[in-house]
Amino acid sequence: MSLTAILQHSDLFQGLNESQLAQIMNISQERKYNQGDVVFAQDSEGDAMYVIAKGQVEIQIKSESGKKRSAVYLGEGQVFGELALIDQGKRSASIVVIEDGTIIYRILSEALNQLCATDTAIGYLMMRNLAKDVSFKLRHQNRLVADL
Amino acid sequence: MIYKVSYVVKGGQYPGCIKNQEEKPVVGGIVAIGPKKFEVIEVHEMMPPRDDFQFLHATVKAVGESNSE
Repeated sequence: MSLTAILQHSDLFQGLNESQLAQIMNISQERKYNQGDVVFAQDSEGDAMYVIAKGQVEIQIKSESGKKRSAVYLGEGQVFGELALIDQGKRSASIVVIEDGTIIYRILSEALNQLCATDTAIGYLMMRNLAKDVSFKLRHQNRLVADL
Repeated sequence: MIYKVSYVVKGGQYPGCIKNQEEKPVVGGIVAIGPKKFEVIEVHEMMPPRDDFQFLHATVKAVGESNSE
């Protein structure tokens, strides 16, 4: 699958035209991971967001006592690491790859912020889609809590 | 059409999953969540559709598990 097709498969890039997608592609780096690889660790500094093109990752949260729990699995088309893009805070969870051959695109926050500032149409669409993604994740968590 | 699906495992003892897929989940279908497989027992719309995306919620149970509480 081409990168354009991958980006079109993710709702984060919903509404962007081909020219705008090409600009996102220019600041994206493809990385391949295997099972057990850690994309980033909880409490580390966040300088990028990520889009899963293939495979699944596990979102792990460690309590102050050191106990780890799995919060959710994310599959193709999903975004993670976006909170650091929004609030510049440290990573709130660790990301562990659970499938060999997982492909993830890394988008540096600085490059994306610069692009969004330069092309405000991209900025508006990306921020709208990010807000919608966060909303979807909150609704997912609400369902989990309701099911306990 | 692309379906963004929130999968929640009945009972809440196992983490759920969010993924985008090209096939709409159906009751009785099997889905991989992490290293395990689950059966879909309920599907409904979570948010209104927009452009080529539909936003769904699906409840699943371990394969072979009873539907009763």
